[in-house]
Amino acid sequence: MIKAVAMSHSVAMSHASLISEGRKSAGRMLIIVTSILLAAIAIFQILDASGVITFGLTDWRPTLYAYVVWAVSVGISQVMMRGEAGHKALFLLPALLFTIALVIFPTVFGFYIAFSEWNLSSFDGQKFNGLDNLRTLYHDTYFWNALRNMTFYVASVMLQYALAFGLALLLNADIRARKFFRVAFLLPFMLSPVAVSWMIGKSLMEFRFGPLAGLARHLGWDNPAFFATPWIARFSILALDAWVWLPFMIILILAGLQAMPKDIQEAAKVDGAAGWTSFWHITFPLMLPVSVTTIVLRIIFQLKLADIVINTTSGGPGGATDTVSSFIFREYRDRSNVGYGTMAAEVYLIIIIIFITILLNLVGRFMRREAAQ
Amino acid sequence: MTTASEAYSARRRASQPWNWSRAVAKILIYAALLTWAFICLFPIYWTISTSFKTAVNVTQGDIIPFIGRFQGDWKGWRSLGLSPDTIFQVSTVRDEFFLRFGNSVIASVGASLLAVIIGAPAAYGLARFNYKFGPWRNKDISFFFLSQLLLPPVVLAMPFLVLYKELALLDNLFGLILVYTLMVLPIVIWITRDQFETIPIELEQAALVDGCSIWGAFIRIVLPLALPGMVAAFILSVVLCWNEYFFAALLTSTNAKTVPVMVASQTGSQGISWWTMAALSTGAIAPLIVIGVFLERYIVKGLTAGAVK
Amino acid sequence: MKVEEYNQLLSMQTDRRSLLKGAAGVAALGASGGLGATAIPGSALAADSLRAAILKIPGVGKGSPGDAEWQKVGEMCLEATKANVKPGEFKGVELNFMGLNNQNLHNMLFRGFLKPWEAYTGAKINWIDLAQADYNARLQQSIATKTVDFDILEMGAPFEGDVCGKGLASVMPDWVKKQVDIDDYSDYLKPPVGTWDGKTYRITIDGDCHNFNYRTDYFSDPELAKAWKAEGHQGEWAVPRTWQKVNEVTKFLKGKKIKGQDAIGYLDPAKGWGGFGFYFLEDRATAYVKHPDNKAWLFDPENMKPLVNNPGWVRAIQDVIDSLPSEPADQLNADPGTTAFQQFLAGTGSMLSWWGDVGSMANTSDTSVIGNDVAFDILPGSDDVYNYKTAKWEKLASGPNFAPNCAYLGWGVYVMARVDADPKKQKAAWSAAAHLGGKDLSLWMVMYPSGMQVHRNSHSDIAEWVGAGYNKDYITSYLKSQFGSYNHPNRAIEPRIPGIFQYYSVAEDELAKVFAGKMTAQQGADSIAAAWDKLTDQIGRENQLKLYRASLGM
Repeated sequence: MIKAVAMSHSVAMSHASLISEGRKSAGRMLIIVTSILLAAIAIFQILDASGVITFGLTDWRPTLYAYVVWAVSVGISQVMMRGEAGHKALFLLPALLFTIALVIFPTVFGFYIAFSEWNLSSFDGQKFNGLDNLRTLYHDTYFWNALRNMTFYVASVMLQYALAFGLALLLNADIRARKFFRVAFLLPFMLSPVAVSWMIGKSLMEFRFGPLAGLARHLGWDNPAFFATPWIARFSILALDAWVWLPFMIILILAGLQAMPKDIQEAAKVDGAAGWTSFWHITFPLMLPVSVTTIVLRIIFQLKLADIVINTTSGGPGGATDTVSSFIFREYRDRSNVGYGTMAAEVYLIIIIIFITILLNLVGRFMRREAAQ
Repeated sequence: MTTASEAYSARRRASQPWNWSRAVAKILIYAALLTWAFICLFPIYWTISTSFKTAVNVTQGDIIPFIGRFQGDWKGWRSLGLSPDTIFQVSTVRDEFFLRFGNSVIASVGASLLAVIIGAPAAYGLARFNYKFGPWRNKDISFFFLSQLLLPPVVLAMPFLVLYKELALLDNLFGLILVYTLMVLPIVIWITRDQFETIPIELEQAALVDGCSIWGAFIRIVLPLALPGMVAAFILSVVLCWNEYFFAALLTSTNAKTVPVMVASQTGSQGISWWTMAALSTGAIAPLIVIGVFLERYIVKGLTAGAVK
Repeated sequence: MKVEEYNQLLSMQTDRRSLLKGAAGVAALGASGGLGATAIPGSALAADSLRAAILKIPGVGKGSPGDAEWQKVGEMCLEATKANVKPGEFKGVELNFMGLNNQNLHNMLFRGFLKPWEAYTGAKINWIDLAQADYNARLQQSIATKTVDFDILEMGAPFEGDVCGKGLASVMPDWVKKQVDIDDYSDYLKPPVGTWDGKTYRITIDGDCHNFNYRTDYFSDPELAKAWKAEGHQGEWAVPRTWQKVNEVTKFLKGKKIKGQDAIGYLDPAKGWGGFGFYFLEDRATAYVKHPDNKAWLFDPENMKPLVNNPGWVRAIQDVIDSLPSEPADQLNADPGTTAFQQFLAGTGSMLSWWGDVGSMANTSDTSVIGNDVAFDILPGSDDVYNYKTAKWEKLASGPNFAPNCAYLGWGVYVMARVDADPKKQKAAWSAAAHLGGKDLSLWMVMYPSGMQVHRNSHSDIAEWVGAGYNKDYITSYLKSQFGSYNHPNRAIEPRIPGIFQYYSVAEDELAKVFAGKMTAQQGADSIAAAWDKLTDQIGRENQLKLYRASLGM
């Protein structure tokens, strides 16, 4: 199944040749038997479910158990048949088989739904409708509007990254009460999006009694309505979301900073203009891999931004803060338009995959160039 | 390690004469630190203090307790059956809260453990060996795991509902643990893979020469070294699972229900009980704050090893 | 505390004066509101004293009641159950109850009420609590994936098409009808509401309509009255009774002060609320588009063509656009919840449309700071009404056209058909539902914060409200507005067609664009109509048309 080739282990000998034929065939037998078992139980269940035979199974647990048995025996037979290569495959197999087991049905079923018209209130149920959903999506102004907003949200990740980097540098500087600041900076990450949108978005930033609005009035902004005009609303949403996620970025970057060799750190800590130069020439390039991880992970989470938008603005005013996820949420949940909502999500997924792949490639190329310099 | 560097900086501090630009820089650094600490902590203070407010305190935006109107009130906690006068009485709301709290603990800890147990070996494999899986190489397998993070969860609603119904996993803590594991597995793999890559390969080679099997070397040599990173991944996973709302609302009903849905229930067509919501939020984040205070160093330390390749 | 002890306590407390006051209240109401004809509970004295006793728990003005009070009330109201069920009769039965946890009310409240019931009958209830935002989706998904895992369901009438129409609900047995005294329901909640194809499914625990809430201190303020005259407005400074006047007053109040604070007129919730926000546009629109000669106002009952882009609706949308500049600066991001609870109840704004519970909450809930400065009326009318059949604006000979919006039709308790197979379970489920929908219990629920409002004729007894501690003028005004809407000949009834909230949700999205200035009122209305047409085709036009006509009684 999975071929693992030892590359880095120079001492690794080829055990494969030492495995006896008997052991190999026993392993092969094991996998064949359990595969047949799994297939048989699955077919039996399909027949039972479709009413061809009546055995009266209430759920698909037997197939699940058969799958578990099969998965375990795949692992065992890998070891039996391929020795060390099998041992190596064993590292990856549990996670891989687990993920595949859980996502294969939802993925297939998801695509099946995406090409159908399925409004949960409809008395007719699900109807196949080919590419209609795709066509509707192409003309859906809400989708395109949300996608445009997403470019803003994603672009803002660079801003968040700069801020997080700055804060991580501060935490890494010679400071007293470092422990206090580190804990303080981490805490916002602990709050759930529900709590954040209500206790902060709708209470702290409340127009009448929110202390933030009070502060804004004090500073001379007469009508501190944080969610009433498009750009202010966008930045308010961004601030809320960044507040939650900055700690995540800070700790990743801070970890990177602390992992740098001490002498380099000290060299980079020289004050003044020289410090600035040394940051650009030493710290920043060394931090590139961490930065990439941080930014990519953050972009992925940013692309799924929904909860805070749904709770605080519902995408308003006039769609200015709408995200693709919150748009899908409205279609799928508020309007029970399951077929169309799923299609929108699949298309979004493909856009994301393309975007992330390009991003990773560009980053890879950039890093190689940096390394070559 | 830290003591050495601190001693070094202290020496450096002592050896350099006092000057103004240095003092200004210090002031600026502390000003920035304090400002940001305030930004981080004030909303949490706001949440906790709101749980002791009455309607007037909320609508007037009182901030500082024990001054004027804001004398503190147990109203929010009373509605949860957790105020001093109700704590020993029967309270359905409190029972509900504790049931959900217990479930939240089991679901998030269980899922995070499972994710680390199956994720760490996978990450090690991806860091050390070259796999071929049909046309897929390591990079593609990594991306496959990562891609599980990409899908907006809302579209998994119907498929998972159908799948779980057929597997009799609805309203089942184990079922919830499986979904959460799927959710945090990519993050665990991503973080721990970086960890394993930084561990010098010579250590394992030495162990192999001594006659260890690959798994023996992994368990006896690599795991202890990578433990901080796995702890960090575990803690991050717990936090993410603890706050998960969508699948909790979708897949649970009476047995496996968790805390976040109860927090969201404080809003609706009868307005918002700010004090109750704040009390619930406080109760819900309390364990995470404890984690933050006591385990913060493990998070950063754990991530440190793997951060720079 | 045991019921006997409570009765004893009560008999010591009751004095003649409050009884007399109560009687006077009934007489006053009879004279002013034409409500004298509605039934005053004429049952045995024991029942009356029970009603009076439960209303003393904890007493109006003593803060929000909690768990202990709920259980006490549940215990005291158990007599009706005892008549139909033997002690321990349902031993071993387990029931799943799905409903809302709305601010730790609804399901939490029901738990308290049903605890004594569980103790008496021996049944056990498991609870599924949903946040309101999840309710619709969860229900629809359960139905679609056949994962209905609940036996008793708290549900609003608009979803009857989705549940009863698909044969998922259990038909109400006759003994339940008797136990809950189903004939006591307000007229507009009687069939066809609660029924499907002639069968009864619903135990009503709530009545819903929007009424007009206003601040009395605004409209008795001499400074404002003077300014009103000085600016040359027509008529006296008084509570506006038509939307034309509401708009005039709202614009007039901009920039004025009252008690040193900014005066603000009507509050339009401009932000969506998962579909519920559309009700608030309906509030303005019904007076313009609900013609007394025609029951239809949302769709054309001939072909399901949306009426939402006719001149009447467009005028309502335009009203909101014109009023928004005179409303608070954050109004564009204020959903109905914010508008009612963070603005109106917190003292901002002088006029608001809302369900009746804002009224009882102003007095009994911890959320309110405006207390007795609130009074009520049915929704404003309009000087003219648009008749879509003639495509003309008409002035009625009878004066302004009023059309109260009976939004949502209230919560009810339904039993699912899946219990029917087991007679013991079926009886247990219906007994639990009947206990929650009990006549005496309902009185307590509508008087205290529970999320439920008046829905029975027997709730109109002012003496009982005053006995519980309500101010007489206040409660008279409140009940008059409620029953005035329920019994209004031109009330606008919400059609119980499947997916009705999908229509509202689409409309909210378009309205958000209109209110943000991206479209004109007419453009917005046209896109709502187009989206609705598409939705109707998706759900099935024939079927929707049939159900729409049935829900209007055509």
